[in-house]
Amino acid sequence: MIVKDIMAPFELYQPAQLKDAFSLLDSFGKDAWKMAGGYDSLDWFKDRIVRPQAVIDLTGIAEMKGIKETPDGVEIGALTTLSEIENNPIIKAKYRLLADAVSHVASPQIRNHGTIGGNASQNARCLYFRYGLPCYRAGGNTCFADTPEGINREHALFGADRCVAVTSSDGAPALTALDAKFVLQSSSGQRVIGAEEFFVGPNVDILHLTAAKPEEILTTIRLPSAWAGKNFYFEKVADRNVWDFPLVNVAAAISVQNGAIRESRIVVGGVSAVPHRLTQVEGIIQGKALEEGTATLAGQSSTRDARPLNYNGFKIPLMASLVTRAVRNATA
Amino acid sequence: MDHKLIGKDFVVTDIEAKVTGRAKYVEDFRADGMVFCKSLTSPIPHAKIRSIDTSAALKMKGVLGILTADDVPQFPPPAQGIFAKDETFYVGEPILAVAAESEEIAVAAIEAIKIDFQELPHVVDPLESLFPGGPNARSGGNVAAGQIKLQTVKWDGADFATAGETKLPLGRPAEEWSYGDIDAGFKKAKVIVEENFVTATYSHNCMEARSAFAYWQGGKCFLYGSNQSHTAAIANISRYIGIKPDQLVFLAEFCGGGFGSKIPGYPNMAIAALMSKKINRPVMHRISRHEEYGIGSARPGFQGYVKMGFAANGKMVAADLYVVQESGPMATAGDFRAAGGALTLLYQPDAVRFRTVPVLTNTVPVGAQRGPGENQFVSVIEPMIDQAARQLNMDRIDIRIINAPDSDGKIGQDRGPLTSAFQKDALAKLKILGNWEERKKRSGQKNGTKVTGIGIGQGFHSAGSNGFDGLVRITTDGKLHIHTGVGNLGTHSHYSTARVAADLLNVNWENAIVERGDTRRGLPFNSPQAGSLTASTQSRTMYAAAMDMKDKLTDIAAQMLGGKPEDYVLGDEKVVSKSGGKSITYQQAAQKAVQLGGKYSGKEVPDELNPITKSAVAMIVGTGLIAAAKDKLPRVGTTPGLTCNLAEVEIDTETGVVEIKECFSVVDVGTVLFPLGLGHQIASGQILGIGMAHLERHIYDPKLGIPAAMGFHQSKVPTYLDIPPNIQWQAVEKPDPHHPLGIKGVGEPALGSGASCITSAIADALGGHLFNRTPVSADMILNHLSGRPPAHKPLQVNTV
Amino acid sequence: MSDADSNKTEPGQPSLRTTRRSFIKGVIVSGVAVSAVGYVVYERTARRPAAGAVERLITLNVNGRDRRVDVAPHETLAYTIRNKLGLTGTKVSCDRAECGACTVMLDGVTSYSCSTLTQSVRNRKIVTIEGIAGPTGGLHKVQQAMIDELGPQCGFCTSGQVVSAVALLNRNPKPTQDEARRGMSGNLCKCGAYDHYLKAVMRASQEA
Repeated sequence: MIVKDIMAPFELYQPAQLKDAFSLLDSFGKDAWKMAGGYDSLDWFKDRIVRPQAVIDLTGIAEMKGIKETPDGVEIGALTTLSEIENNPIIKAKYRLLADAVSHVASPQIRNHGTIGGNASQNARCLYFRYGLPCYRAGGNTCFADTPEGINREHALFGADRCVAVTSSDGAPALTALDAKFVLQSSSGQRVIGAEEFFVGPNVDILHLTAAKPEEILTTIRLPSAWAGKNFYFEKVADRNVWDFPLVNVAAAISVQNGAIRESRIVVGGVSAVPHRLTQVEGIIQGKALEEGTATLAGQSSTRDARPLNYNGFKIPLMASLVTRAVRNATA
Repeated sequence: MDHKLIGKDFVVTDIEAKVTGRAKYVEDFRADGMVFCKSLTSPIPHAKIRSIDTSAALKMKGVLGILTADDVPQFPPPAQGIFAKDETFYVGEPILAVAAESEEIAVAAIEAIKIDFQELPHVVDPLESLFPGGPNARSGGNVAAGQIKLQTVKWDGADFATAGETKLPLGRPAEEWSYGDIDAGFKKAKVIVEENFVTATYSHNCMEARSAFAYWQGGKCFLYGSNQSHTAAIANISRYIGIKPDQLVFLAEFCGGGFGSKIPGYPNMAIAALMSKKINRPVMHRISRHEEYGIGSARPGFQGYVKMGFAANGKMVAADLYVVQESGPMATAGDFRAAGGALTLLYQPDAVRFRTVPVLTNTVPVGAQRGPGENQFVSVIEPMIDQAARQLNMDRIDIRIINAPDSDGKIGQDRGPLTSAFQKDALAKLKILGNWEERKKRSGQKNGTKVTGIGIGQGFHSAGSNGFDGLVRITTDGKLHIHTGVGNLGTHSHYSTARVAADLLNVNWENAIVERGDTRRGLPFNSPQAGSLTASTQSRTMYAAAMDMKDKLTDIAAQMLGGKPEDYVLGDEKVVSKSGGKSITYQQAAQKAVQLGGKYSGKEVPDELNPITKSAVAMIVGTGLIAAAKDKLPRVGTTPGLTCNLAEVEIDTETGVVEIKECFSVVDVGTVLFPLGLGHQIASGQILGIGMAHLERHIYDPKLGIPAAMGFHQSKVPTYLDIPPNIQWQAVEKPDPHHPLGIKGVGEPALGSGASCITSAIADALGGHLFNRTPVSADMILNHLSGRPPAHKPLQVNTV
Repeated sequence: MSDADSNKTEPGQPSLRTTRRSFIKGVIVSGVAVSAVGYVVYERTARRPAAGAVERLITLNVNGRDRRVDVAPHETLAYTIRNKLGLTGTKVSCDRAECGACTVMLDGVTSYSCSTLTQSVRNRKIVTIEGIAGPTGGLHKVQQAMIDELGPQCGFCTSGQVVSAVALLNRNPKPTQDEARRGMSGNLCKCGAYDHYLKAVMRASQEA
């Protein structure tokens, strides 16, 4: 019988250096679980759905912490806490979008210990998946949310492929809008990939929301200088104003020249398994004057290919509104 | 009458323990040799239990014993039992418990237990069960409640066909009553409002789960429980354990939230007790949040139909109400009846018909939650009153004043009397407090993308009872011991009512000791701490005890100093002759009482006292001057606690987000006993009302029958940032004449008016649009504003 | 669910039994294969020496004192301080990092101790509700304000509320009401005592 209480025992490893973490990952292989702040991990353990043999607590790895400026922008260690990012003067001055976004995550306690790497990598919040049902995302062969009766108010408008779960991260859309690069390292080297490659939908990998392989660790997130100090907008709509996942959120970075939109990156969360970047909208508004008509046009053109489920149709007007507001209200 | 303590603020005696973390709740206790137990709960919404194989679990090292339905008292279905036996009715229902040296072992043992289930059809929507051929939540039937025996009720297919998907089919009710001529009433009505509605079921979500800790000593069961009542629960808890009440030592000094779910004790308490007896070790039974969702109760949702007719002057001339209650699988909630009572009381209609059916579902057991029935009713009905006002072109507060009860008002099917009602005064006062005439001009005003809504809401719950036993004692050191068995829900009324005895006996609060929390301290049979009863009921109980003490004090003074008792009055902790000069201290009187014995020392007690009170007196007999008295003071009629609230909200028309800007409340609670505590109840009622109106809900997958709102974030418990920064209140302060001090209660109506002012304000912001559903969430508002159809069928439940 | 073949299912109905069983046996989550079978051990100890494997006997700095304590790898901080150090003022309500009843300070920063592994805070300064009052036992101004404003109702969330309020005022001694609300926002109260807790925080901020 099942019990959703009390963690099953595991071995705990607290490497102080990345190389030790890699050798642990190589040694334990699929029996290892990577843990940062731990808030998401411990839920899985306590529900007894996930029972790793070895938990690799990464929080002691100093080289994965901190925010520093580089010639190309800013590097954020993946273990940097959301509170640090929220209050960091460099981030606030140049990438306010990210500070803004992470300030909407859950609650102060979560932000104090939750990390940007963990926030971006968090697993889907689909109620069926979290309940422990054998859905596609859990390696099964069905979806419980996308049925005639399924409860899918919080689920996807775009990119569903068997699984209709969405990303619930507030940080991920902001990172995507800022054109962040994700540094993945393993014992065999490192690769640096963009947000569009880092976040993956069910069509790419139905079991994971990121491209990180089991032996890889997301060590660093780089924010390029190209988007520093541009016009930014973040907004999140959730049922509660604390400790809740977005019904829909929006993050936008807009570069303006002479009152016209030179370039933009507009990304919506809570509507797809990945942060949903609106490249078409970006194309439509490029070069247009930054005014209400352009904002309305952006909103109107954002939801054209949405495929609502039974209960989430409201996300269409909500997303359109948030995109409109992003263009209307983005400020430096 | 000028009081030194009544109506004054004070430092609540046990509050320092709370702010320092020293207050001990159930899980904070330890005992030598303590072991742990965990429950195995049903993963299936409805099934026959064909067999249970515990052999592998029992062989595991550290496993100490297993308790099943065969080891515990049985209660006739559809009562809520301790463990499911033969048939399980909801996901999360306890089936057995395992004791082990550690919780980890207990949990591992549970995973090694095999149960052979035969799945049965399940149902989470009452209307689906009422549909011809629809599933029954229990093999024995689909309708049951207190005074309604378990039976199968199926409505005609024609009822459903006629109603379609937008209306409640009006099939055969389980109960029906009426008064007056509703047909004639509707005929003469100028305006008729006719709507169908749904209110969500939602969890009590007590912060302290219902853990229990028990051990046995000297043939007695020592039980540490999280309970909002104390002595009122003893009989019931004893029944669950299968012992006599005097075999139970019940320790319940603090209770981490009850909201109605911990009134007379609950079946789960017996597990620790019976397991402890079985394995002869102290047993801690910690309940996880996940388990609490299953056994922690919930406010039952309604599916309803209402038709209300109003005369040109706004008077409600006829009302027809039908309530279908989602009752969970047990007969545990009577909310449906209270909805009818609220209708008759709040609007005093000339004619009423009330029909209702409580339908069993394979969802968690439901029960009373702060304003059971009345609050579901007002949360959807109050916005409809606004609709009538708009159609009649009347002021929205004035239409409520016209209908509101005064002290000649009536309640219920039998048109019973009220002890007092000053809701008209409360509403008039709310106009001033909330700056109504100015504020209402903002109704519907746009500010950028936002639109303002102003809403009025009302709340009612009967808020006073009588007939309980008071017990006070002056010990030979001169201290006044106030024995209270009401429990400690967290409303602070256990102390504020104790102060009544000190006040009436002229005792300085510093010299009063409140005896509570442990039945060994001698706790009398008192009111449950529930139903907004404590402030009113326990204060008159204290009054009765204090008057008895006063008689005994003057009696002893006369015996010691000569003259008659009438020649003496109470001074500052002494009895003084009216002519002056002669006095005895309370200490002297207490010492004399010990010598005198008999009725003075507790040796003789009135026969009319409850057995629990008698055994309480027996514990303290001979320790001083003892006054134990039953409250026989007259009280005729229902004592209504009444509240009205005003809320201003802003709705962002682009996102559907509701921001609650300001709330105001005026309450008719008679004499104010403890202003700070009253304000706290009003503010918290407003805050939890926001939860009910806007946030909290249950979700079930109808096909799988599994719950999906088990945690706080899924249940949407309100947070610091979901509440208005400003909540103001006032009291009418007109004493209730059927109470010796004029006190009425407030807890439950405060939530009802808190919820209904929000649903009304949201409707107002949207030009009077009625969602007829709680909670009203952003998605519903957005669908409405963007011209999309609602995601739910109008009467669908448990989806949100 | 553990029984393999006892459960009849209506034709066309998904079987909850089958689905759960197969799930627990073979679930893949985030690349980690998980096995539910064969679990009987009470404590798992590292089978092979590796860099970073944790010791069980550790020193924790709690309320200014170093405490030696035996801590399992999978033990939460709330469990350790409540059950091994006897500091039961910290409450566990949700056990899922949602409610804040278990809030403690780690190096002055609030944390949900129910969802923090004790082994991960070996080098941190831990302050629980028992460490809030002054060294001589005098109440902290936040505690006094919570008494004066009648902050708590049932009291179960109060320890966490006090710890969050103290951490807030340490960081921001004169918060606006809105800053106070945000600072306290990680603590739930099902009694709905927020209004009075906030008044207490504001009152405490005005004390010297």
